[in-house]
Amino acid sequence: MSDRSYDSIVIGGGHNGLVCAAYLARAGQKVLVLERRHVLGGAAVTEELYPGFKYSVCSYVVSLLRPEIIRDLQLPKYGLEILPLECSFTPELDGPGLVRWPDADKTRREIARLSKRDSEVYPLFGREMAKVGRMVKPILEMVPPDPTSLNPANLMEMLKLGRLFGRLSEEERILQAKMFTMSAIDFLDEWFESDLLKATMGVSGIIGTFQGVRSPGTAYVLMHHYMGEIDGAFRAWGISKGGTGMISQAIAESAKNLGAEIRTEAGVAQIMVRAGRAKGVVLEDGTELTARHVISGVDPHRTFLGLCEAGDLDAEFLASIKKFKMRGSSGKVNLALDRFPEFTCRPGDGMHVRGDLAIAPSVDYLERAFDDAKYGDFSRRPFMNVVIPSLLDPSVAPPGKHVMSIFVQYAPYAIKEGPEAWPERREAFGDAVIETLAEYCPDLESSILHRQVLSPWDIEQQMGLTEGNIFHGELSLEQLFFMRPTPLWARYQTPIRGLWMCASGTHPGGGIMGASGANAARRILKSRVRA
Amino acid sequence: MPLPSPFHERTASLCESLKFKSWAGYFAVCSYESHPDPEYFAFRNSAGLLDITPLFKYELSGEDSAAFVSYMATRDVSALKIGRVTYSCFCDQRGKVIDDGTISRLDEQRFRVTTGSPAYAWFLQNSRGFQVEVEDVSESIAALAIQGPNSRRILAELVGPGIEDLRFFGLVAARIAGVEVEITRTGYTGDLGFEVWIPRDGALSVWDAVMAAGKAHGIMPVGLDALDIVRIEAGFLLQDVDYFSAPRCIIESRKSTPYEIGLGWTVALDRSPFIGQKALREEKQRGSDWGFVGLEISWEGIEEIYTEYGLPPSLPTQACRMAVPVYSTGRQVGQVTSSTWSPILKKYLALATVEAKQVEIGNQLRVEHTVEYERMRVLATVVERPFYDPERKRT
Amino acid sequence: MSYDLIIIGAGHNGLTAAAAQAARRRKVLVLEARAEPGGLAAGLEFHPGFRTSGVLHDSSGLRSSVITSLGLESHGLRRRPISTSVFAPQAEGPGLLLHGEPSRAAEEIAVHSTVDAERYGRFCEFQKKIGPYLRNLLNTAPPDISPRGFGQFWDLFRRGMGLRRLGREDMFECLRIGPLSVSDWLGEWFESDLLKANLAAPALLGTWAGPRSAGTAALLLMHQSVAENEVIGGPAALVRALNAACEARGVELRCGARVARILVDASKVKGVELADGQVIDSTRVASAVDPRQTFLDLIDPRELPLGLAEPISNWRCRGTTAKIHLALDGPLEFSSRPGQSFDAVRIGEDLTGIERAFDAVKYRRLPEAPHLDIRVPSLLDPGLAPDGMQVVSIQVHFVPYDLDGGWTDDRRADLIESSLAQLSKVAPSCRDRIVGHQLLTPVDLERDFGTSGGHIHHGEQALDQLLSLRPQARCARYATPISGLYLCGSGSHPGGGISSAPGMLAAQAIR
Repeated sequence: MSDRSYDSIVIGGGHNGLVCAAYLARAGQKVLVLERRHVLGGAAVTEELYPGFKYSVCSYVVSLLRPEIIRDLQLPKYGLEILPLECSFTPELDGPGLVRWPDADKTRREIARLSKRDSEVYPLFGREMAKVGRMVKPILEMVPPDPTSLNPANLMEMLKLGRLFGRLSEEERILQAKMFTMSAIDFLDEWFESDLLKATMGVSGIIGTFQGVRSPGTAYVLMHHYMGEIDGAFRAWGISKGGTGMISQAIAESAKNLGAEIRTEAGVAQIMVRAGRAKGVVLEDGTELTARHVISGVDPHRTFLGLCEAGDLDAEFLASIKKFKMRGSSGKVNLALDRFPEFTCRPGDGMHVRGDLAIAPSVDYLERAFDDAKYGDFSRRPFMNVVIPSLLDPSVAPPGKHVMSIFVQYAPYAIKEGPEAWPERREAFGDAVIETLAEYCPDLESSILHRQVLSPWDIEQQMGLTEGNIFHGELSLEQLFFMRPTPLWARYQTPIRGLWMCASGTHPGGGIMGASGANAARRILKSRVRA
Repeated sequence: MPLPSPFHERTASLCESLKFKSWAGYFAVCSYESHPDPEYFAFRNSAGLLDITPLFKYELSGEDSAAFVSYMATRDVSALKIGRVTYSCFCDQRGKVIDDGTISRLDEQRFRVTTGSPAYAWFLQNSRGFQVEVEDVSESIAALAIQGPNSRRILAELVGPGIEDLRFFGLVAARIAGVEVEITRTGYTGDLGFEVWIPRDGALSVWDAVMAAGKAHGIMPVGLDALDIVRIEAGFLLQDVDYFSAPRCIIESRKSTPYEIGLGWTVALDRSPFIGQKALREEKQRGSDWGFVGLEISWEGIEEIYTEYGLPPSLPTQACRMAVPVYSTGRQVGQVTSSTWSPILKKYLALATVEAKQVEIGNQLRVEHTVEYERMRVLATVVERPFYDPERKRT
Repeated sequence: MSYDLIIIGAGHNGLTAAAAQAARRRKVLVLEARAEPGGLAAGLEFHPGFRTSGVLHDSSGLRSSVITSLGLESHGLRRRPISTSVFAPQAEGPGLLLHGEPSRAAEEIAVHSTVDAERYGRFCEFQKKIGPYLRNLLNTAPPDISPRGFGQFWDLFRRGMGLRRLGREDMFECLRIGPLSVSDWLGEWFESDLLKANLAAPALLGTWAGPRSAGTAALLLMHQSVAENEVIGGPAALVRALNAACEARGVELRCGARVARILVDASKVKGVELADGQVIDSTRVASAVDPRQTFLDLIDPRELPLGLAEPISNWRCRGTTAKIHLALDGPLEFSSRPGQSFDAVRIGEDLTGIERAFDAVKYRRLPEAPHLDIRVPSLLDPGLAPDGMQVVSIQVHFVPYDLDGGWTDDRRADLIESSLAQLSKVAPSCRDRIVGHQLLTPVDLERDFGTSGGHIHHGEQALDQLLSLRPQARCARYATPISGLYLCGSGSHPGGGISSAPGMLAAQAIR
């Protein structure tokens, strides 16, 4: 019994599960992490699918990883090194494209080619976003209060929230209200006139969502991405040296060092519930493990509709979980390249490509890409976010060769032929991606040594993310904060006592942020104190 | 990376120190030699030639241009005569300074405005309802400052004795080396001096002509380090050093009104509405919280604290832009934002923002000064600005 | 000459505010640029002998409180309780007659889906349950976003508690539904495309949003919660009654008097200047024209208070509705139900079709298959057309204001053709019965009725342009930062449509 009983069992060795485990172990708990796959990291994994080329298979950029987690868990000591992406480049077919440089004056001149006015407004916009980001930051670190509860602790939290809001100026309040309700483009329209600039900036509002840049609510996602913080600099994005898997590995090493036990190839079949209380888990091989806390690091659908017995949950709760929108909308293409692919509009492997590249030539282009998806097809001309990590981190490819990481949107999980049809559509999707990219980069096709195409269906099958949603659920207004994942159960706890949630499907949600895992751990530790 | 200015070919080959910095995205020489002193004395004793192309320049034209400029600026320019220049603040609606610069009336319906930071979007944003055209001429117009007691003689050789008649803050069209230019009697040195506005293509010809004509009058190319010293002597403030442009401040307390930075004299309150009028009127009635002063830091005090450590007194050869606290009876009452040793006056000068009740001339304050890693306080006295104000500047 | 109050614009909201203010013994002058009062609510002869009942043809949102407090019934207004049965015809199939009475509607729905029929009752019940809360929200001035003083805090708190009173679950459900798209929300309830398309339509009136756009569910709830009355004779009849009420109270109405400037001095209203140069003094001016014109066109930019120009110039008012009026020499008959007449019809068989119609607007194109919201006002008010003939009033969605290539005659013809093609699919006989027609594109609406962007609601009804943010936080409660200047049109809370609520609430705010 003794070696099979734990204080906490974390289901799923994704970054949030690992963060949660590390914090719990740090507080002295006996913790076990169970990962179904042979690698840790969930969507944050590095795999060598072609000899010598290391793909960051799914997640590929970091910006949202909370710095306090890096500090608390001493991640650099365990191998984490984040290389900043300095530039952002939006190529064009008939024009030089747009590059945003680390040098403010250079960026101003670059934007001035599109619009003088925008070039001057651009830094002011960044400053405004930084302000909003700072307003929202404390909310990220907060266990969302229940606005209907009148218990004193909860009221205190509400009061704290009220004070935060109270401290804002009227303009800031309006700004916040607008961010939550407007579309990314409507919001950007208030600031900018250049279509290419708006498209470039607007994509932050749709990454990982099943929304178009003109869909209301996407302004929030825009800001969500502005909160990325590397070395205290807002909005900066980076890649992890050695691939995204290094993040998970570093967290895992840190967790192990703090005493957590981690098992791979140990898939959980079911969560054991007795008398409304989680008692432990049953593994796929039938092993039973018990724990005082069972913490789910997988998405809400999988947790409640996959790992729990329907009888353990009431029908209304299940209905609300079913209503929680997953809607994977993106795919991933990873390429091993024989040589550097030249972009026609700005040749060379200079600074401009050592950042992230967006295939987002116009607002209408992005919206059309969404229209395809809306009616159940992948985008013929998709939005893409491309990173060539080998330019910054030569360790991921043989000398002179390159890895290209292409995040593609939209690839709806529910294509009209049905998600099961993805295996047949997958390569057509991959072709559409390469074809689109080749328009900007004619050299590309002939330099491909190997390609990996991941549809949302594949992401679901391989990583276990329901409907392939990289954020464990849409980041739409009704699925945020005290409503994530469901309004009545948004505080990491669930209707089953002792069962907790710690992944992106809870506040504050997606991205390699780790905040959900850390918040959940905090909440669990508090509950122990009370008991 | 900064861009070369139209004068870069000349300035770069003359710049032995290789000391450049970025000024509004252009390469700008800090000092041509390792030490700015010779350039400083050129400004004060003969003439200095400075590339001021990086200034932002806008032309506003159209039926309502006078009304529009008066609406944007703290000055009322509706009565400004053609061929005259004025200096003004530009505020936001809360009366906080966005920028300061000169406004030249080129024509009945045409003005040129210079600013320290980009202002095109701000002009455009407020132009609704006005018959006015806003054009950014920052890149198409190159500019040189020719400053110093010999500057008038040099220009007279180039454009004729008519330049003698150009009054302080006057503007005249002229031809230098075949290039049509405009000359204003303005500057940032507090001395006799001129600024020449040149079509970009003619930049090098004008430079060469001025340098050639100036040779006999001791002209020297001058960098920003020397400028920083003379502008403090003249009591001029510098954006991003002595005050911060309001829209670029994250917190309110960083912003300043014209009254708070000693530019209250540029505010014409009683007239048709202008941006910031209401707030400035209220401040005028209520009184400002802060004031801007010139301080003379006691040299005896400096000597004393160095002597305590057995050291000779030493000050940096350049102007210092690091803010240090100012105290009055043990309590912090403000900060010094710029300071310099004045080689001519032999005084240690500073520009400071202090609580409004500390601004009286003669008031004695204390300024922090660090010697051997230890923070000390030195006596400083509020004095009149400008610290250095030669008669020739105006006459 | 001097007045206690000048109202700019004699649309239904302007007249409502005028009548309500005149009741307080104020000397009120209403200035109307057009030759007749009524604006978008006025009837219009579009073909000899054929009149519409108003460009806006739905009067179901007219507030009972307006009728009673202005005594409109004594001025000739006749109404019937809302029992609108909206018919959704099909090209093939029986169509769906959505009765106002849920149980009868359920019978009709059962033909299409028994599951939906059963759920429909619960769906109506849910709406009924939250109705009072929403009505309260929509029938009072919006809360102040930056509460100052105890009273305003109390107001905010009270509203919060009002929501709480719905109970924990319904409250959360409201919070959850609000940001949803109407397609997602209805998708949670129903399976029948025809039913969903029919139910969703009111949410999309005058929006720059499709059924799949987030936030449209809230618009639907709001629309449904205030459907109270049906005015016989439609909006035009309301205008007549309001006009009579104004006259009875001594309101002076001047038509053909275009206001060129609202005169402001030192943040105080002084009066107005007409296009002909005449100056009329008043210390109070209420503007029933849209916020963009009020602040950006009618006021000297130098007199605009701090920080107003920016948000107002960002006010979104991209018109998406065109209007087609048809004069028929016989009844409008549908192949789904031959021999029957319906006064309210919606043509659009599924939400995907409506969404596709919306897609066109995004690219400034005409929709291939527009969505039609149809009224046949002459069925209720036979006087609108010669004997045996009918007037068909069609709101066409989604039609861009800024059509790519401009509104040429060819493009106008294209729009009429595609709309008639939609109509002919379900009413094949209609085309032959047309004896006259009129098209009003958003550009026409802007020109003829003076609404910016041709927007029938004076501004899009999106979540960030509603309640305390309509049209801008600092003038959401009808008073503006300019002392004596008020807003009383559809650009104010609770927004557009024939409700008279903005006019009434503004009148209460005028000091």
